[in-house]
Amino acid sequence: MTTTDDELLRSVADLYTAYDPAPPDLADGVLARIAVEGLEIEYELLTLVERVDVNAGIRGADTATTGTVALEFAGTAYRVLVRISAAEGGGRRIDGWVLPTVPMRVFLGPAGEDVTAHTPLTAYSDLDGRFEFSAPMTGEVRLWLLPLAAAEGTGESPQSPFVTPPFRV
Amino acid sequence: MTMHGAAGSGPTSSDLYDAATDAFRRWRSDDDSALDELVRMMSPVLWHVVRATGLDREAAEDVVQNTWLTLVRSGESVRDPQAITRWLCTAARREAWRVSKAATRTRPVEDDVIDARLPVQSSPEGQVVENDAKIQLWQALARLPERCQKLLRIVAWEPRPDYSSVAEGLDMPIGSIGPTRRRCLDKLRGELGSAS
Repeated sequence: MTTTDDELLRSVADLYTAYDPAPPDLADGVLARIAVEGLEIEYELLTLVERVDVNAGIRGADTATTGTVALEFAGTAYRVLVRISAAEGGGRRIDGWVLPTVPMRVFLGPAGEDVTAHTPLTAYSDLDGRFEFSAPMTGEVRLWLLPLAAAEGTGESPQSPFVTPPFRV
Repeated sequence: MTMHGAAGSGPTSSDLYDAATDAFRRWRSDDDSALDELVRMMSPVLWHVVRATGLDREAAEDVVQNTWLTLVRSGESVRDPQAITRWLCTAARREAWRVSKAATRTRPVEDDVIDARLPVQSSPEGQVVENDAKIQLWQALARLPERCQKLLRIVAWEPRPDYSSVAEGLDMPIGSIGPTRRRCLDKLRGELGSAS
Protein backbone atom coordinates (compact mmCIF):
# COMPACT_ATOMS: atom_id res chain seq x y z
CA MET A 1 0.00 0.00 0.00
CA THR A 2 1.43 3.36 -0.94
CA THR A 3 0.18 6.51 0.63
CA THR A 4 1.23 9.94 -0.54
CA ASP A 5 2.58 12.44 1.97
CA ASP A 6 -0.52 14.56 1.56
CA GLU A 7 -2.82 11.61 2.20
CA LEU A 8 -0.85 10.60 5.25
CA LEU A 9 -0.85 14.11 6.67
CA ARG A 10 -4.51 14.42 5.87
CA SER A 11 -5.25 11.35 7.98
CA VAL A 12 -3.09 12.72 10.82
CA ALA A 13 -5.16 15.92 10.69
CA ASP A 14 -8.39 13.91 10.67
CA LEU A 15 -7.17 12.01 13.68
CA TYR A 16 -6.57 15.15 15.71
CA THR A 17 -9.86 16.61 14.52
CA ALA A 18 -11.59 13.61 16.03
CA TYR A 19 -9.60 13.36 19.24
CA ASP A 20 -9.01 17.01 20.03
CA PRO A 21 -11.92 18.88 18.48
CA ALA A 22 -12.09 22.65 18.69
CA PRO A 23 -14.64 23.82 21.28
CA PRO A 24 -18.03 24.19 19.57
CA ASP A 25 -18.30 27.83 20.66
CA LEU A 26 -14.76 28.76 19.58
CA ALA A 27 -15.84 30.97 16.69
CA ASP A 28 -18.60 32.62 18.75
CA GLY A 29 -16.04 33.57 21.38
CA VAL A 30 -13.81 35.06 18.71
CA LEU A 31 -16.69 37.05 17.23
CA ALA A 32 -17.65 38.32 20.67
CA ARG A 33 -14.11 39.58 21.25
CA ILE A 34 -14.01 41.20 17.82
CA ALA A 35 -17.39 42.83 18.40
CA VAL A 36 -16.17 44.48 21.57
CA GLU A 37 -12.96 45.60 19.89
CA GLY A 38 -13.09 49.10 18.56
CA LEU A 39 -16.15 49.89 20.59
CA GLU A 40 -15.25 53.53 21.10
CA ILE A 41 -15.09 54.12 17.38
CA GLU A 42 -18.20 52.50 16.07
CA TYR A 43 -20.55 52.14 18.98
CA GLU A 44 -23.06 54.76 19.90
CA LEU A 45 -22.66 55.59 23.55
CA LEU A 46 -26.00 55.64 25.33
CA THR A 47 -26.60 58.04 28.17
CA LEU A 48 -27.98 57.24 31.58
CA VAL A 49 -31.36 58.91 31.84
CA GLU A 50 -32.57 57.48 35.10
CA ARG A 51 -31.31 55.52 38.07
CA VAL A 52 -33.61 54.15 40.73
CA ASP A 53 -32.37 52.39 43.82
CA VAL A 54 -35.22 50.13 44.76
CA ASN A 55 -35.37 49.24 48.46
CA ALA A 56 -31.91 50.65 48.91
CA GLY A 57 -30.99 51.27 52.50
CA ILE A 58 -27.93 53.26 53.28
CA ARG A 59 -25.76 53.40 50.16
CA GLY A 60 -22.56 51.58 50.83
CA ALA A 61 -20.39 48.69 49.90
CA ASP A 62 -22.42 46.16 51.91
CA THR A 63 -25.93 47.23 51.04
CA ALA A 64 -24.97 47.35 47.40
CA THR A 65 -25.00 43.58 47.30
CA THR A 66 -28.62 43.26 48.47
CA GLY A 67 -30.47 46.17 46.93
CA THR A 68 -32.07 46.27 43.53
CA VAL A 69 -31.03 48.96 41.13
CA ALA A 70 -32.88 49.96 38.00
CA LEU A 71 -31.09 51.89 35.28
CA GLU A 72 -32.41 53.37 32.11
CA PHE A 73 -30.19 54.27 29.19
CA ALA A 74 -31.20 56.01 25.99
CA GLY A 75 -29.68 56.76 22.62
CA THR A 76 -30.94 57.97 19.28
CA ALA A 77 -32.65 54.74 18.29
CA TYR A 78 -32.85 52.56 21.37
CA ARG A 79 -33.73 52.57 25.01
CA VAL A 80 -32.34 49.99 27.43
CA LEU A 81 -33.66 49.18 30.89
CA VAL A 82 -31.41 47.25 33.22
CA ARG A 83 -32.31 45.79 36.58
CA ILE A 84 -29.56 44.52 38.85
CA SER A 85 -30.85 42.43 41.70
CA ALA A 86 -29.86 39.70 44.11
CA ALA A 87 -29.77 36.20 42.63
CA GLU A 88 -31.06 33.21 44.56
CA GLY A 89 -27.63 31.79 45.20
CA GLY A 90 -26.44 34.99 46.83
CA GLY A 91 -24.82 36.53 43.75
CA ARG A 92 -26.23 39.16 41.43
CA ARG A 93 -28.27 38.92 38.30
CA ILE A 94 -28.98 41.32 35.50
CA ASP A 95 -32.27 41.54 33.68
CA GLY A 96 -32.52 43.82 30.71
CA TRP A 97 -35.03 45.03 28.19
CA VAL A 98 -34.32 46.80 24.99
CA LEU A 99 -36.78 48.83 22.96
CA PRO A 100 -37.70 48.67 20.17
CA THR A 101 -37.63 44.87 20.22
CA VAL A 102 -35.15 44.13 17.47
CA PRO A 103 -33.23 40.83 17.93
CA MET A 104 -29.90 41.68 19.50
CA ARG A 105 -26.71 40.09 20.63
CA VAL A 106 -25.80 41.50 24.03
CA PHE A 107 -22.34 41.40 25.57
CA LEU A 108 -21.48 42.05 29.17
CA GLY A 109 -17.87 42.88 29.93
CA PRO A 110 -15.67 44.80 32.32
CA ALA A 111 -15.64 48.55 31.74
CA GLY A 112 -11.89 49.01 32.01
CA GLU A 113 -9.45 49.87 29.28
CA ASP A 114 -8.48 46.25 28.90
CA VAL A 115 -11.94 45.06 27.94
CA THR A 116 -10.67 43.16 24.94
CA ALA A 117 -8.43 41.12 27.21
CA HIS A 118 -11.54 39.35 28.47
CA THR A 119 -14.13 37.28 26.78
CA PRO A 120 -17.43 39.00 27.43
CA LEU A 121 -20.54 37.10 28.42
CA THR A 122 -23.05 36.83 25.63
CA ALA A 123 -26.84 36.83 25.65
CA TYR A 124 -29.54 37.35 23.05
CA SER A 125 -32.65 39.44 23.46
CA ASP A 126 -35.89 37.55 22.95
CA LEU A 127 -39.03 38.54 21.08
CA ASP A 128 -40.03 40.85 23.93
CA GLY A 129 -36.66 42.52 23.91
CA ARG A 130 -35.73 40.81 27.15
CA PHE A 131 -32.26 39.46 27.97
CA GLU A 132 -30.60 38.27 31.12
CA PHE A 133 -27.26 37.45 32.68
CA SER A 134 -27.93 35.12 35.59
CA ALA A 135 -24.33 35.04 36.76
CA PRO A 136 -22.78 38.33 35.69
CA MET A 137 -19.29 39.47 36.47
CA THR A 138 -19.23 42.11 39.18
CA GLY A 139 -17.56 45.48 39.43
CA GLU A 140 -17.63 48.16 36.75
CA VAL A 141 -19.21 46.74 33.63
CA ARG A 142 -20.84 47.84 30.41
CA LEU A 143 -23.29 46.29 28.02
CA TRP A 144 -22.62 46.26 24.29
CA LEU A 145 -25.67 45.68 22.12
CA LEU A 146 -25.55 44.60 18.51
CA PRO A 147 -28.77 44.61 16.55
CA LEU A 148 -28.73 41.44 14.47
CA ALA A 149 -29.41 41.45 10.77
CA ALA A 150 -33.07 41.97 10.03
CA ALA A 151 -35.06 38.86 9.23
CA GLU A 152 -34.44 37.48 5.76
CA GLY A 153 -36.42 39.19 3.08
CA THR A 154 -37.47 42.30 4.99
CA GLY A 155 -34.74 44.24 3.28
CA GLU A 156 -33.97 46.20 6.42
CA SER A 157 -30.38 46.68 7.33
CA PRO A 158 -29.37 46.32 10.96
CA GLN A 159 -29.00 49.45 13.05
CA SER A 160 -25.70 50.58 14.49
CA PRO A 161 -24.44 48.88 17.63
CA PHE A 162 -24.43 50.75 20.90
CA VAL A 163 -22.90 50.59 24.34
CA THR A 164 -23.98 51.70 27.78
CA PRO A 165 -21.78 53.84 29.97
CA PRO A 166 -20.06 51.89 32.76
CA PHE A 167 -22.24 50.89 35.69
CA ARG A 168 -21.62 48.95 38.84
CA VAL A 169 -22.83 45.41 39.52
CA MET B 1 -25.76 33.39 5.09
CA THR B 2 -23.35 31.01 3.50
CA MET B 3 -22.47 27.95 5.50
CA HIS B 4 -19.07 26.50 4.98
CA GLY B 5 -18.37 22.96 5.93
CA ALA B 6 -14.74 23.89 5.67
CA ALA B 7 -13.70 22.45 9.00
CA GLY B 8 -14.78 19.04 7.85
CA SER B 9 -13.34 19.27 4.40
CA GLY B 10 -9.79 18.84 5.61
CA PRO B 11 -6.99 21.19 6.41
CA THR B 12 -5.07 20.67 3.23
CA SER B 13 -8.12 21.22 1.11
CA SER B 14 -7.52 23.95 -1.41
CA ASP B 15 -11.27 24.68 -1.23
CA LEU B 16 -10.74 26.00 2.27
CA TYR B 17 -7.89 28.24 1.19
CA ASP B 18 -9.88 29.56 -1.75
CA ALA B 19 -12.91 30.21 0.44
CA ALA B 20 -10.77 31.97 3.03
CA THR B 21 -9.10 34.13 0.39
CA ASP B 22 -12.47 35.04 -1.05
CA ALA B 23 -13.95 35.91 2.36
CA PHE B 24 -10.91 38.00 3.26
CA ARG B 25 -11.18 39.92 -0.01
CA ARG B 26 -14.84 40.64 0.60
CA TRP B 27 -14.15 41.77 4.16
CA ARG B 28 -11.48 44.11 2.81
CA SER B 29 -14.08 45.62 0.53
CA ASP B 30 -16.27 46.40 3.53
CA ASP B 31 -18.48 43.34 3.66
CA ASP B 32 -18.62 42.84 7.44
CA SER B 33 -20.40 39.50 7.26
CA ALA B 34 -17.41 38.11 5.37
CA LEU B 35 -15.30 38.39 8.52
CA ASP B 36 -17.90 36.28 10.29
CA GLU B 37 -17.50 33.63 7.60
CA LEU B 38 -13.73 33.80 7.72
CA VAL B 39 -13.72 33.38 11.51
CA ARG B 40 -16.05 30.41 11.35
CA MET B 41 -14.09 28.60 8.66
CA MET B 42 -10.57 29.27 9.94
CA SER B 43 -10.93 29.11 13.73
CA PRO B 44 -11.02 25.29 13.86
CA VAL B 45 -7.80 25.17 11.80
CA LEU B 46 -6.12 27.73 14.06
CA TRP B 47 -7.22 25.66 17.03
CA HIS B 48 -5.16 22.74 15.80
CA VAL B 49 -2.23 24.91 14.79
CA VAL B 50 -2.15 26.24 18.34
CA ARG B 51 -2.78 22.94 20.08
CA ALA B 52 0.11 21.45 18.10
CA THR B 53 2.43 23.69 20.11
CA GLY B 54 1.37 21.95 23.31
CA LEU B 55 -0.80 24.65 24.85
CA ASP B 56 -3.70 23.50 27.02
CA ARG B 57 -7.23 23.98 25.73
CA GLU B 58 -8.01 27.13 27.68
CA ALA B 59 -4.81 28.90 26.67
CA ALA B 60 -5.33 27.72 23.09
CA GLU B 61 -8.73 29.40 22.97
CA ASP B 62 -7.18 32.68 24.13
CA VAL B 63 -4.46 32.47 21.52
CA VAL B 64 -7.00 31.86 18.75
CA GLN B 65 -8.99 34.90 19.89
CA ASN B 66 -5.89 37.08 20.10
CA THR B 67 -4.82 36.03 16.63
CA TRP B 68 -8.09 37.30 15.21
CA LEU B 69 -7.88 40.54 17.16
CA THR B 70 -4.43 41.08 15.69
CA LEU B 71 -5.87 40.59 12.22
CA VAL B 72 -8.73 42.99 12.87
CA ARG B 73 -6.33 45.60 14.21
CA SER B 74 -3.77 45.22 11.47
CA GLY B 75 -5.61 43.60 8.59
CA GLU B 76 -4.09 46.19 6.30
CA SER B 77 -0.70 44.59 6.81
CA VAL B 78 -1.79 41.46 4.98
CA ARG B 79 -0.79 42.55 1.50
CA ASP B 80 -1.83 39.54 -0.49
CA PRO B 81 -5.31 38.12 0.24
CA GLN B 82 -4.06 34.74 -0.95
CA ALA B 83 -1.64 34.74 1.94
CA ILE B 84 -4.40 35.08 4.55
CA THR B 85 -4.43 31.46 5.74
CA ARG B 86 -0.65 31.43 6.01
CA TRP B 87 -0.68 34.76 7.81
CA LEU B 88 -3.26 33.49 10.32
CA CYS B 89 -1.50 30.18 10.93
CA THR B 90 1.89 31.81 11.38
CA ALA B 91 0.55 34.53 13.68
CA ALA B 92 -1.29 31.91 15.76
CA ARG B 93 1.76 29.66 15.98
CA ARG B 94 4.12 32.48 17.01
CA GLU B 95 1.72 33.70 19.67
CA ALA B 96 1.24 30.11 20.91
CA TRP B 97 4.99 29.53 21.26
CA ARG B 98 5.33 32.84 23.06
CA VAL B 99 2.56 31.96 25.52
CA SER B 100 3.78 28.42 25.99
CA LYS B 101 7.33 29.55 26.71
CA ALA B 102 6.07 32.09 29.23
CA ALA B 103 3.88 29.39 30.80
CA THR B 104 6.64 26.83 31.23
CA ARG B 105 8.41 29.29 33.49
CA THR B 106 5.55 29.17 35.96
CA ARG B 107 3.86 25.86 35.38
CA PRO B 108 4.41 22.82 33.20
CA VAL B 109 2.68 22.86 29.86
CA GLU B 110 0.29 20.02 29.18
CA ASP B 111 2.10 16.91 28.10
CA ASP B 112 1.48 16.90 24.39
CA VAL B 113 3.27 13.72 23.53
CA ILE B 114 0.64 11.23 22.67
CA ASP B 115 0.09 8.15 24.70
CA ALA B 116 0.04 4.73 23.09
CA ARG B 117 -3.36 4.16 24.65
CA LEU B 118 -6.33 5.62 22.88
CA PRO B 119 -7.36 8.90 24.40
CA VAL B 120 -10.67 9.34 26.12
CA GLN B 121 -13.06 10.14 23.36
CA SER B 122 -13.97 13.78 23.70
CA SER B 123 -15.94 14.21 20.52
CA PRO B 124 -19.44 12.93 19.96
CA GLU B 125 -18.13 10.84 17.13
CA GLY B 126 -18.01 7.64 19.09
CA GLN B 127 -17.66 5.65 15.94
CA VAL B 128 -14.14 6.94 15.52
CA VAL B 129 -12.92 4.63 18.25
CA GLU B 130 -14.10 1.67 16.26
CA ASN B 131 -12.23 2.79 13.24
CA ASP B 132 -9.28 0.43 12.94
CA ALA B 133 -7.32 2.66 10.64
CA LYS B 134 -7.47 5.51 13.12
CA ILE B 135 -6.38 3.30 15.99
CA GLN B 136 -3.44 2.02 13.98
CA LEU B 137 -2.44 5.51 12.98
CA TRP B 138 -2.64 6.71 16.58
CA GLN B 139 -0.48 3.85 17.79
CA ALA B 140 2.01 4.36 14.98
CA LEU B 141 2.29 8.06 15.85
CA ALA B 142 2.79 7.19 19.49
CA ARG B 143 5.83 5.08 18.58
CA LEU B 144 7.54 8.00 16.83
CA PRO B 145 10.06 10.23 18.60
CA GLU B 146 8.53 13.24 20.31
CA ARG B 147 9.98 15.66 17.80
CA CYS B 148 8.31 13.76 14.94
CA GLN B 149 4.97 13.74 16.69
CA LYS B 150 5.13 17.48 17.15
CA LEU B 151 6.33 18.27 13.66
CA LEU B 152 3.82 16.01 11.92
CA ARG B 153 0.99 17.49 13.93
CA ILE B 154 2.09 20.93 12.76
CA VAL B 155 2.52 20.14 9.09
CA ALA B 156 -0.72 18.16 9.05
CA TRP B 157 -2.54 21.49 9.28
CA GLU B 158 -0.42 23.43 6.94
CA PRO B 159 1.36 21.58 4.15
CA ARG B 160 3.95 24.34 3.75
CA PRO B 161 4.16 26.22 7.02
CA ASP B 162 6.40 29.16 7.70
CA TYR B 163 9.49 27.17 8.65
CA SER B 164 11.06 29.91 10.73
CA SER B 165 8.11 29.96 13.15
CA VAL B 166 8.23 26.16 13.36
CA ALA B 167 11.99 26.00 13.84
CA GLU B 168 11.88 28.60 16.57
CA GLY B 169 9.26 26.75 18.55
CA LEU B 170 10.79 23.32 18.18
CA ASP B 171 14.31 24.61 18.81
CA MET B 172 15.53 23.17 15.53
CA PRO B 173 17.64 24.80 12.83
CA ILE B 174 15.47 25.99 9.95
CA GLY B 175 17.41 23.89 7.48
CA SER B 176 16.61 20.68 9.29
CA ILE B 177 12.81 21.07 9.26
CA GLY B 178 12.40 19.83 5.68
CA PRO B 179 14.64 16.75 6.08
CA THR B 180 13.15 15.96 9.50
CA ARG B 181 9.66 16.16 8.07
CA ARG B 182 10.70 13.76 5.33
CA ARG B 183 12.25 11.34 7.85
CA CYS B 184 9.26 11.52 10.19
CA LEU B 185 6.83 10.78 7.39
CA ASP B 186 8.94 7.80 6.33
CA LYS B 187 9.07 6.56 9.91
CA LEU B 188 5.32 6.89 10.24
CA ARG B 189 4.83 5.01 7.00
CA GLY B 190 7.21 2.34 8.28
CA GLU B 191 5.34 2.02 11.57
CA LEU B 192 2.05 1.73 9.73
CA GLY B 193 3.52 -0.87 7.41
CA SER B 194 4.97 -2.99 10.19
CA ALA B 195 1.73 -2.89 12.13
CA SER B 196 -0.36 -4.33 9.34
